[in-house]
Amino acid sequence: MKISYEWLKDYVCFDLSPQMLAEKLTNAGLVVAGIEPVEDDYCVDIEITANRSDCLGFIGIAREVAAMTKGNIQRPELGIDISSVSDDVSQFIKVEVKEPILCPEYTARVVRNITVKPSPEWLQKRLKCIGLRPVNNVVDITNYIMMESGQPLHAFDLDKVAGRQIQVRKAESGEEIVAINGARRVLFHDMLVIADEKRPIAIAGVMGGKETEVTESTKNILIECARFEPRQVRRTSKSLGIVSDSSCRFERGTDPLGLDYASKRTAKLIFEHAGGEICKGVIDVGAVRNEAKKVVLRIDRLQKILGLEINRDVIPDILTRLQFKILNYVDNFIDVEIPSFRGDVSREIDLIEEVSRMYGYNNIPTKTSISIRGSKKSKYETVEDFIREILIGLGFYETKTFSIVNYAFLGGGNLWISEGEEAVEIVNPLRQEESVLRTSLLPSLIRVKMHNANHGYEQVKLFEIAKVYLKREKLPHEKNCLSLLEAADFFEGKGIVQLLLKNLKIHAKCEWVNFNETRLFKNERAAKILLDGKTIGYLGEASKELGFKTLCTLLELDMDALVEKANFDKKYRTPSPYPMIMRDFAILVDEGIAWASIENCINNLEISTLKEVHYFDIYRGKQIPEGKKSIAFNVSFQSHDRTLKSEEVDNESDVILDALYKKLGAELRKQ
Amino acid sequence: MIEKARSFIECMYGMSVPAFFITNRKLFIMPEEIQDTQKIFHDEVARIKTLSEAELLKVKYLGRTGVVSELMKVIPKLPVDKRASYGKQINALKDEISKILADHINRLSLEKKSSYKKEVFDVTLPGKLPCIGKKHPLTQTIADIKDVFARLGFEVVFGPEVESEYYNFDALNIPSDHPSRTDFDTFYIKEDVLLRSQTSTVQIRIMEKQKPPIRIIAPGIVYRPDTVDARHSFMFHQVEGLLVDEGVSFADLKGTLYQFIKSYFGENVQMRFRPSFFPFTEPSAEVDISCSLCSGKGCSVCSYSGWVEILGAGMVDPNVFEAVHYDAEKYTGFAFGMGVERVTMLKYGIDDIRLFYENDMRFLSQF
Ligand SMILES: [Zn+2]
Repeated sequence: MKISYEWLKDYVCFDLSPQMLAEKLTNAGLVVAGIEPVEDDYCVDIEITANRSDCLGFIGIAREVAAMTKGNIQRPELGIDISSVSDDVSQFIKVEVKEPILCPEYTARVVRNITVKPSPEWLQKRLKCIGLRPVNNVVDITNYIMMESGQPLHAFDLDKVAGRQIQVRKAESGEEIVAINGARRVLFHDMLVIADEKRPIAIAGVMGGKETEVTESTKNILIECARFEPRQVRRTSKSLGIVSDSSCRFERGTDPLGLDYASKRTAKLIFEHAGGEICKGVIDVGAVRNEAKKVVLRIDRLQKILGLEINRDVIPDILTRLQFKILNYVDNFIDVEIPSFRGDVSREIDLIEEVSRMYGYNNIPTKTSISIRGSKKSKYETVEDFIREILIGLGFYETKTFSIVNYAFLGGGNLWISEGEEAVEIVNPLRQEESVLRTSLLPSLIRVKMHNANHGYEQVKLFEIAKVYLKREKLPHEKNCLSLLEAADFFEGKGIVQLLLKNLKIHAKCEWVNFNETRLFKNERAAKILLDGKTIGYLGEASKELGFKTLCTLLELDMDALVEKANFDKKYRTPSPYPMIMRDFAILVDEGIAWASIENCINNLEISTLKEVHYFDIYRGKQIPEGKKSIAFNVSFQSHDRTLKSEEVDNESDVILDALYKKLGAELRKQ
Repeated sequence: MIEKARSFIECMYGMSVPAFFITNRKLFIMPEEIQDTQKIFHDEVARIKTLSEAELLKVKYLGRTGVVSELMKVIPKLPVDKRASYGKQINALKDEISKILADHINRLSLEKKSSYKKEVFDVTLPGKLPCIGKKHPLTQTIADIKDVFARLGFEVVFGPEVESEYYNFDALNIPSDHPSRTDFDTFYIKEDVLLRSQTSTVQIRIMEKQKPPIRIIAPGIVYRPDTVDARHSFMFHQVEGLLVDEGVSFADLKGTLYQFIKSYFGENVQMRFRPSFFPFTEPSAEVDISCSLCSGKGCSVCSYSGWVEILGAGMVDPNVFEAVHYDAEKYTGFAFGMGVERVTMLKYGIDDIRLFYENDMRFLSQF
């Protein structure tokens, strides 16, 4: 809300520069976003939090200033006795409220024989200072009083109100109205309107209609001062796309006891500046006076919540200055009556906040006495940090990319979902092209790679740890994934996976299976990775379709599976003091025999002295028959309790060769 | 007089001078003094290390006003019978000095020449840098925040990003007609399922499962349908904190956050608490720190106020405790939340939030 520094002085006496005022308001929770000099005045822009509708008027802000400065608030005198001037208002207008829940109170006053003309200079100046455009004396005065009191008002040209009859009713679907700002709108049956005998003449609480607006030729006016249900106003304002100073105030709730003052004050000002006569009385439909709310505040509770020893006289003093009424104060208990304009206060904790706000947050001590407590790092965090450190050490840069992605782009990278399975979709995306939650991180990494390639960085090494979202019954399954991209071949990529598995001490059975089900990877140069039979990731060389200039390998791993299997228990084992003996082998096998089956075949022999099987070369060529390949590897043997004899190792080697021959048809390659 | 002459010669040669050289005016130079000169010369030659030292010594002994010519000058003044033998001795000395010095000069200049040809090991050439990667700056910030709070006993917890309305709104005391629930402010997946707009959801999930005392921080991604510009992103990161126990007060909240602010932004930073409004805390506060760019004098970053907002906080609203069946009379607690991008931008002077998600190497490599 924008206020004028000079205008505010009408309601409260203070000796503060605009900057000092701004600081005080900010410290009380009314954040000043800016101060702008306007002629010989200042426009102070205050951000009012959603709960403080009472501060959407000068008097509300003056109340805060008075409480802060221990000053007094001055309400303008209503002055003349406006009740005995002319004929009774009921002779000129009838009001019927058909929706008392949506419009709990509606009041109408009539002023006759007025002269519509420009407002006096001072009034125009004040409105301009806070960014309002002066229109004419009647409209300006309704705006002026709305700004003063926070209560929106509207003036109709009484002679244009058909049948001199006001109805507050639901709109009929298809009814139309042209609002004062010129916007034509078709109304729906769930909207509330002010109507005359024939048609809607205002959208309740939002904006008046063009047809009944006050113009230079207007002689008689009807001043509407009413209360509308906040939700109703918000919905209507949103769906019609019309936001006004009035709708903003009704949306947040207005003071149920504020109508009379605003209505009288408007009539008086119009009488003073537009002449004419004020009709006697007011039409007031729905006025029900609820009993004021009462709340008990316990002093010890307040001290406990705030961590503050506070003088017992300070509390009632602060509350009184904010115009709360102290009904009773005995020992630990203060009975407080809540003023009608503070709809946001209804509980003890609300009063505690009021006291702390005025006492000053910065006067509450800063304690560092919370008890000692240990905290433990979760296994997930430990694994994530560990992997991140390794990858950074290997030269990978970490990225962060958006989890809301383009559907078409995602289509190429379906790893964790099968053909035809859907991604989680957003109903109200910002852009239609980006409307689904990703099911793989790789497409995003590919984009990052391309972005950097366009800036001359071809050899990037990237990784990201983030979630993919897999559609389920109610909430999706959010799977943590590690995705990685580097300018390298398949086996360099596989090396990284094996390095991670080894260092996370994951001993579960790991299998690598050819994988050709995604367009991201080059055919025949990709694999699915399984751990104990469960898919934990995909690795492949980037498909030519991706258009990279260099060979590139892509990896996506299920982080949650790694976390589950990771093992950080460490036990030291004394190395064997006996020598290790190695034997090299070069065997001829069919092209179709995978290394894994050779390795498994040897390991399955359960040779107790076997330490490690180590692949080192594959050869196809001249001396090798068609359809065969030569695989070279070595096997190391070691015992923990003795020195192995050469013959012993030779025997085991024969056992190995024998098994390889029988199971896989492997022959020792003759030199 | 003698002293004066000595100091003059010392100035000329920059070294101590044999006594005879000074007493030569007495005209009593004896053969022993020639031997002394010879001895001193040998001492001095032995100390030569460089070519320039050798050349300096040549000037000293063989120069026009050098030691040898000074000795020569004495000859005409000697008794006639002594002149020949004395002259002979001086000439022998001169030849000896000349030869020795020539040898040295020759040797040293050869050494100098050969050292030009030898390859010089240039230790100032740049080293060969191994490549290491970098953490994303947002990860770094989250790690820094976790670090400070872990030392205060806070445990890190996570929660889902796709949430039900209950955890994102209802349980957090956000009224059913609150504007933040509209699809202008929240992404929806379907009825009752949305992308969380705040990490406060995790508070509820944890409190449902655990009894006090509770001390957690929850970092994570949140989503809001804001049009992307230099200050806004539809996806960003938050860190939420919650502490619930008996006897926890607003003063403890101030103390805890002050610890964090000092650790993260530095010892000299000032902190300011301002009243604010959040449905799930009461009293609520926004916390500012003194602007590090202008040290509180006012600049464009702090909108000329000297303060920048870094987090929202407050005492947990009793309605939130009611939602998770905690006894609000027995337990009190505080909660706080901060935007990771915002904190990172302030700390490193980054002026555009989009940079975090572009992942340009020229950006990433700076952290
Ligand atoms: Zn600044």
